[in-house]
Amino acid sequence: MRRIYESGALHRDDEHFTPNKRDRSYRPQALRSLNSTRLSRSLLPNRFGYRAISISVSTPREEFASDTAIPFQVTMKNTLPVPVTVPTNSPVLWTWDVDGTTNASRVPLHDPPEESGAFVFDRGERKQFTKGWQQLFRVSESEWEPAEPGEYTIGAEVNVDNADKKGLRGTTTVRIVPETATDADGR
Amino acid sequence: MTLLEVNDLTVKFYTQDGVVTAVDNLSYQIESGEKFGVVGESGAGKSVTALSLMRLIDSPGQIESGEILFKGEDLLEMSEEEVRNIRGNEIAMIFQDAQTALNPVYTVGEQIAEAIRHHLGHDEAEARERTIQLLDRVGIPEAETRFSDYPHEFSGGMQQRAVIAMALSCDPDLLLCDEPTTALDVTIEAQILEELEELADDFDTAIQLITHDLGVVAEVCDRVMVMYGGKPVEKAPVEELYYDPKHPYTVGLMSSIPRVGDDRDRLQTIPGTMPDLVELPPGCSFHPRCPYAEESCTRKEPPLLDPETGEEAAGTANEHAAACLEYSGELQGGLDYSVEINDSQGEPTAVNPEGDRND
Ligand code: SF4
Repeated sequence: MRRIYESGALHRDDEHFTPNKRDRSYRPQALRSLNSTRLSRSLLPNRFGYRAISISVSTPREEFASDTAIPFQVTMKNTLPVPVTVPTNSPVLWTWDVDGTTNASRVPLHDPPEESGAFVFDRGERKQFTKGWQQLFRVSESEWEPAEPGEYTIGAEVNVDNADKKGLRGTTTVRIVPETATDADGR
Repeated sequence: MTLLEVNDLTVKFYTQDGVVTAVDNLSYQIESGEKFGVVGESGAGKSVTALSLMRLIDSPGQIESGEILFKGEDLLEMSEEEVRNIRGNEIAMIFQDAQTALNPVYTVGEQIAEAIRHHLGHDEAEARERTIQLLDRVGIPEAETRFSDYPHEFSGGMQQRAVIAMALSCDPDLLLCDEPTTALDVTIEAQILEELEELADDFDTAIQLITHDLGVVAEVCDRVMVMYGGKPVEKAPVEELYYDPKHPYTVGLMSSIPRVGDDRDRLQTIPGTMPDLVELPPGCSFHPRCPYAEESCTRKEPPLLDPETGEEAAGTANEHAAACLEYSGELQGGLDYSVEINDSQGEPTAVNPEGDRND
């Protein structure tokens, strides 16, 4: 008898998020003739692996009125023609932050299991993630405070020690201006 | 007796897009023989909750914290072997898509009989007899002849009845039904729900019914939990939820119950979609879609509160609790909707003037 959890019954096409859906980065490697994770680990010393990945953050504008969401895009690219796997400190593969505050939260949001993760990039792969900062800092489990007008750095980095030094961090700067000031600009 | 007690369950999925918090700090309990409804749209965390109860969360998913006490024992502490014994024997599951639960190459009868042999240790003849009884009991006509039919020879409704028979074959204490009738048409749905309710009473089985349709819950359940963005936003006995809904999301779901003669597109009734579970909106996660949202709703996340006292909900079985700043006195404009009793059907309908305006 086929058991329910071996069947396709857990897949729903109406779900935004299907629990057992495989993330592309967890694609079963047994299906390939070569295990790319192992291959890239054996071929590339980590420091070359790091160098292969570039990461950048971009926003549509530099200036945003207070109280508007700031959308930003994180782009990661594997510049090598071979697959590259970056071992990460935990299953959290990368994080974003505002002025170094991860997820714009002053309280830790996640308590990932104590095991390492693997961020897999196909040959030449470009990954793009669209996120948004609501101009709020989370100050407790249930409270948020607005960010004052001023300059902020939005960063994104792969979850490794000293990501910046390894070239696995990208940043961009945005300015929050009081609403009246933008109105005066005629926007 | 409390059959199932879920305490502070948190389930996360580590994906490359970020950490998906599918279920966040969820607590509820189900009494023996009780019919408990879990309602919400896709992505509310309903199915993940059910899969957690069966310990079927796969990598990259992680049950991060909490406990799931089944008859007092924590399912999360059990060995794989112990859980396997409970799965199918004491907790059985029914899914939306009956076809995928049935193996196309075996006859329906064989599959159920096999489950009975496996779980209850009956011999072949006994298992066959019990299967025929069960098929008959779930409303399959000429059960004895249909025993040797293959799944494709059954209609959708019959297949789902067969799956129910299979789930009940081992006399489970808890039946998890995940959208069991969503794939069926409305008349068949009503029959199956009625059947399910009767069977649960006869077999003294508790039901956790997961659905996006508040109308289905009204048919079957005693108590309801409404979920949004991985969290419960309202909990109440079913009648109270219907006649006196306390959370704007529940009101939205009520006005989206399809009714005869009402051909509005039901999905349009609550504008907007379920939020991204990687990055929930700050404050009350419902605020981008809530017609009553104010600035405070974007800054503070309301806990489940007793709407009468504004105190934090105690978590007792029959309480009515809702997570909205209205009940902590932090909403200035107040909530403004009413419940109308629809004469022709005697069912309450929520009327949400602001919501209509926002359509
Ligand atoms: S807290 Fe605000 S946004 Fe949330 S349900 Fe209540 S009124 Fe709506």
